[in-house]
Amino acid sequence: MNFKERFLTAMNHEEPDQVPVMGLIMDPATVNKILEKKPADFVGMLQKPVMASQIKNLLNSNRFWTNMYYGNTAGAMEAAIKLGFDANWTIYALMKLTKDPQASVGWSWNDPYGRVWDLGADEDGSMNVNYSRALLDTEEKWEKWVAEKAPVFEMMLRNVAAFHRKLVKNYGDRIYPVGYAAPGIFENSWQPIGFVNFTKLIYQKPEFVKKVIAFQTDLYLRNLEAVMKSDVEAVLGGDDLGQKTGPLMRPELIEKLYGESYRRVAELVHQHKKKFVFHCCGNIYALLNKFVEWGFDGIITMEPTAGMELGKVREQVGHKLVLIGNLDVSYLVVRGTQQEVEDAVKKAIRDAARGGGYILSTSHSHPAVDPLRLQWMVEAAHKYGKYPIAV
Amino acid sequence: MPDDIIEQLRNGMLALEMDAALKATDAVVNGQNKAAVKEAVDAVTQALQVVGKKFQEGEWFLAELVYAGEIAKEIMARLSPLMQAEDSQSQGTIVIGTVAGDLHDLGKNIFINYARTSGFKVIDLGIDVPTAKFVSAVKEHQPLALGMSCLLTSTEKELGKVVDELKKQGVRDTVKVVIGGAALSERSAQNAAADAFAPDAITGLDMIKKWSAVR
Repeated sequence: MNFKERFLTAMNHEEPDQVPVMGLIMDPATVNKILEKKPADFVGMLQKPVMASQIKNLLNSNRFWTNMYYGNTAGAMEAAIKLGFDANWTIYALMKLTKDPQASVGWSWNDPYGRVWDLGADEDGSMNVNYSRALLDTEEKWEKWVAEKAPVFEMMLRNVAAFHRKLVKNYGDRIYPVGYAAPGIFENSWQPIGFVNFTKLIYQKPEFVKKVIAFQTDLYLRNLEAVMKSDVEAVLGGDDLGQKTGPLMRPELIEKLYGESYRRVAELVHQHKKKFVFHCCGNIYALLNKFVEWGFDGIITMEPTAGMELGKVREQVGHKLVLIGNLDVSYLVVRGTQQEVEDAVKKAIRDAARGGGYILSTSHSHPAVDPLRLQWMVEAAHKYGKYPIAV
Repeated sequence: MPDDIIEQLRNGMLALEMDAALKATDAVVNGQNKAAVKEAVDAVTQALQVVGKKFQEGEWFLAELVYAGEIAKEIMARLSPLMQAEDSQSQGTIVIGTVAGDLHDLGKNIFINYARTSGFKVIDLGIDVPTAKFVSAVKEHQPLALGMSCLLTSTEKELGKVVDELKKQGVRDTVKVVIGGAALSERSAQNAAADAFAPDAITGLDMIKKWSAVR
């Protein structure tokens, strides 16, 4: 079997020749380490006013951004191919570099939805980016923002389609690029408003919240359509509905607010005869049955640091969902020994791979991930993941 | 003050109905009855304990925890001016902040809301707090506990730096150190030589209450 047949066979809950291995490679730090590239000192350059102004002008032009972002993702694909992965996720993001006195380095990224992303550099100088705060903390700000950003959303959707098509064209014969429509409806509705504000609005202004969710659902469905234009058979979508100890909201409330939206997501993907895998971080046992009910085909992450265990998930959902992920990125593929990596791979395969329906991967991307540990993970998957499973 | 007003306040909080809870609070405030104010404060504290229990038992989740905390904050803002000194006697002082390089504050703010309502004096150092500021606050306020929040693995190393500096300056043994945040685990607490890891705000508060009780 080639990588594509292997991936799709597992997605159909059938046993391929061996357990497919998927990379979640996207962080510049990981890509630079794998490709042995020296990172550009982006944060340092931003501290020089003249240079910062030039960088801002360049990055905030759609043409430059699109080429640069594609180049970074192409690097991630090369890195994933180099390590022997069968598949890798591909995510498009549109950001605007903004001077920001509240940001740790004086600059932040703003996304079209109304989030602020803090940027910094790790010890090696590779850039890292994290959601830090909301820009639209009132109803009025939100209304004004989405009206003004209508042309940006259109541009973003055109970029999404072109980005994924190009990746599949250029890399599809060497690795399976799984397009990821992100961020999802839940995150796009609360993060630009802030969690505390959004929670208050749920109880105090439910009609406004309904409007926000309806807007984000329509936009998200168009984002998914754009990703699917690349013609791959499986797509990822994402929303972190969980945190360390459980879902962010009561499952009944999530159903009430978002259930219909998620059903529409699954229906749309199935209309295109594709499979939908849902990225969802945190402790999400309480939502697994919902994922099945909403029509999702698979889930990805299952964070061990949030208490997610593959065996328990498989026991709860059987083969109603394809499972992807679960290998720890807080220790195992950062500082773990080769024996620990092998043991974790064997356990994952033992717990979830019988009958197909399991794709081995880390639970998430992370800048601290060590390429050597990823290589051990891939090698162990090849060594112990041959069907019939015997570990 | 009729018991049913206090009951309405408590029920309003537990039903997550801010209007009903505030209406009952206003009735207490308008009554200008000091005993009723104390009863109302106790009712808020008890209601938050129920909320915390529901959260820990997996019946309620973060959104409910946050909103109940926001209701409590609104109620306490109205009751505080009428509270007697003995009603607001502190359970102890807690210094808290998000470590340097990290700008996240949701978990920290939930904790602060619940801790203040439970009678603790909380010194909030904010986000992106440098080591020196944590240490200086410990020296100045001599708290029962120092809480450090950290959402990012990239900033986890800051926790150990603060604990090391507390040791260097001879104040480590005067304060319990508790850490919390999405990136952290028991292993993080061991690495940083903290006293405890709190997986969530309510568990963290429970730990500090126990420390407060055995002081």
